[in-house]
Amino acid sequence: MEYAIETFSLTKIFSDWWGRTKVYAVDDLNLQVRQNEVFGLLGPNGSGKTTTMKMLLGLLHPTKGKALILGGDGANPKINSRIGFLPEESYLYKYLNARETLDFYGRLFGLPAKLRKMRIEALLDMVGLKAVANRSVGTYSKGMARRIGLAQALINDPELLILDEPTTGLDPIGTRQIKDLILKLAQRGKTVLLCSHLLADVEDVCDRIAILYGGKIQTQGRVRELLQQSHKIQITTDAISDSTLSKIEQLIKDEKAEYEVTSPMDKLETFFINTVAQAQRLAQPTSGAVSTTKIGGFLVQDVPLENILDKLVSSPVSKETSQEAPTTEKVPVDEDSGTEPDKQLLTELTGTAETSQSESDAGEEKTRTEPVESEQVPQETQDQVKKDILDRLTGRPGSQNDKNRQTD
Amino acid sequence: MRGIWAVAKNTIKQALRMKIAVVFIILLFVLLPVLGITTTGDDTLKGRLQTFISYGLSLTSLLLCLLTIFVSVYTVTSDIKYRQIYTVITKPIRRFQLLLGKLLGVMILDIVLLVLFSALIYTFAVYMPKIFKATDEELVQVNNEFYTARAALNIPEVDVTGEVKERYEKLERLKRLPDLPREEIIAELTKQAQLEKRAADVGGVLIWEFDNVKPLTESMFIKFKYDVAVNPPDMQVYGRWYAGDPQYVKYGQQPPTPFYDNILKHSIQTFHEIEFPADVVPENGHLAIAFMNVSLNRTSITFPPDGLAILYKADTFTANFIRAVFLILFRLVFLACLGVLASTFVSMPVAILLCLVLFSTATISGFVIESFDSLSANMSMFYSYTIKWIIRLLPQFDKFNPTKFLVQARLLSWSVLAQCVVFMVFIKSSILLLLAFFIFSYREIAKIIV
Repeated sequence: MEYAIETFSLTKIFSDWWGRTKVYAVDDLNLQVRQNEVFGLLGPNGSGKTTTMKMLLGLLHPTKGKALILGGDGANPKINSRIGFLPEESYLYKYLNARETLDFYGRLFGLPAKLRKMRIEALLDMVGLKAVANRSVGTYSKGMARRIGLAQALINDPELLILDEPTTGLDPIGTRQIKDLILKLAQRGKTVLLCSHLLADVEDVCDRIAILYGGKIQTQGRVRELLQQSHKIQITTDAISDSTLSKIEQLIKDEKAEYEVTSPMDKLETFFINTVAQAQRLAQPTSGAVSTTKIGGFLVQDVPLENILDKLVSSPVSKETSQEAPTTEKVPVDEDSGTEPDKQLLTELTGTAETSQSESDAGEEKTRTEPVESEQVPQETQDQVKKDILDRLTGRPGSQNDKNRQTD
Repeated sequence: MRGIWAVAKNTIKQALRMKIAVVFIILLFVLLPVLGITTTGDDTLKGRLQTFISYGLSLTSLLLCLLTIFVSVYTVTSDIKYRQIYTVITKPIRRFQLLLGKLLGVMILDIVLLVLFSALIYTFAVYMPKIFKATDEELVQVNNEFYTARAALNIPEVDVTGEVKERYEKLERLKRLPDLPREEIIAELTKQAQLEKRAADVGGVLIWEFDNVKPLTESMFIKFKYDVAVNPPDMQVYGRWYAGDPQYVKYGQQPPTPFYDNILKHSIQTFHEIEFPADVVPENGHLAIAFMNVSLNRTSITFPPDGLAILYKADTFTANFIRAVFLILFRLVFLACLGVLASTFVSMPVAILLCLVLFSTATISGFVIESFDSLSANMSMFYSYTIKWIIRLLPQFDKFNPTKFLVQARLLSWSVLAQCVVFMVFIKSSILLLLAFFIFSYREIAKIIV
């Protein structure tokens, strides 16, 4: 099985009552999503992204053509048990609370009670809804419902994750977390099909993308290849003296190349995350979702099922509430989640040269946004607060890199 | 299987938390005790009991039927409308399993409520004599005529085809046939001949024989109604009734068992019951009943087709009551299947309307079938191949009406119950369910959004 998802001339025509063709929602689509790839399906509204997903999952029947998902039919329960699906909105049973909702979906997968319970707690922890888990999901805001929607898609630790507009309604921290999660899952060999029109999200995580318009693929390929401006290069340094700068400028002039000198800006995302982290540290109460960068333990560890169970049983599941100080790193499952690059960054920032390469080797390939510049923050700002915030929140400080790219 | 159970549990939670079931439950909890206190019937204890059991069971049955329709339709259609189904059927559960889960949830809810409310009705019915401080006389009456399950032996229909044929041929020979189609003349002659079999001129005797009579108690009852050719001045006639071994009644041989022989005076055109000792029934279960139109009367007496029955206690009230509750349950099974089927292809209001129409038609199915039968006399070919089959597919709620049995303390036999299971559950409900599975498995679940 070479491809996780493969479609052959997939076509969906919506007809009116008399059978007259109204719309070609999807037109002769040949899509190949490889195993262990984050694939982004992009397109403006009404370009057939969602229709394609629904046909993959058997919610709609193709008018013509065929779709294979994990080598089989999307309506086959055996295939379904290896898939996680988040529809364009989290359609939840309003009268169930978060825990019951996840329990229901866990039961549909036939997960044994103990494992189900462990996963539910881990997922609630991860999506930051543990404190409100006993409230019916009908009272949740859109973003909170989205988080539960995501949790239900992950409860079976899927091989293939199909996400339809996963970040709609989410706050920036949630968005960031989903992106981190996608990358983590990809590292573990999972396949992700992401459908979105939020280009920034797609750009950050996808290996390959296809852009759909009018039900047809307009272009597809590797993100890096599609976006790289090969005729330009970019150098980012710490603040250097004017004389050095003018020397460099002179060198560039000698090459007869055009250049531009600016200071990189923080991304709004990073700024926002830092602000919220500050508030959380001051223990301001919230009735909403608690922001975490945690990723459910069972999702990031490549261990057999029994071991997951053992691990979950032995690990102290954090009792997170809104008042909690950001010290949740003691949860072992966290350590190889988003926090690792931060430590790396911090060591770099504090001058100790030794960096843990274990994570970045794997991360480099997947995350093109790994820090290439690091000394931009003056050393004297490395107070405890910053340390905590970074530890807790900045899963990957790739934002600066993006900014720089835009300033070219 | 786990998936089915998860869906069933979720369905029950939905019915309770969305307050659909709660409305019905509260209504029943309020209405049943009120009924118990306020029903009076004809002011006798028996009348009171009959009215209460009739209203109580009918109300419970009606409300649970409506509840079943609403819940089974709501639980499927709301999943589709609010699209929770997207995340459910993309999990490892087959579509028919989802429907089965929904059905199971509805049925569990139904069973719990049915047991609860029928227990309430039963308790009320059993304690009513104490509540209303019944006299001994009333107690004897209700024990004989209400707290019992009496089997009824009706007049066996006599085969008169030969006789009718003879008469027709005779009329034909004499050229005195009326100017009517042959079928109508035959029907008329048959009616006449059968009436003659149930008529006794002054001094005449009618004998009926019954097999397999196995009374449980000491008393048996002849229930009858007189029709007369000429109304007597006081609207009353005499009758001499015999009951016992047919050998004695027919041939006058002295039987080993005792026999019953009495002359009684009864008013005409209303039902009466004569009690006679059960030990007149011989060992072999063969019983004969004879009626003699004594010469004190000056008119011939006939019994209408339903005008004579032998009643005897064949089972207890409790057993009869339990079987009656089962009849209600089978109704609910049918309606739940119907609701699930309807919601697989139409939206909620339409599905509910469809179910309600079919429910009310099923409640008067006897009437519907009869009227179609008579209406279609002229187009019998067309009728018997089309509409007839569609109508026969409807369940017959009125034929299997539990109150009909309990009010008259008639035995609701296991065979009636089995008949109901076979037709209403095994055949009709299964057809609905299979159809629902079929439609649901092949329809597109997602809505068309472009």
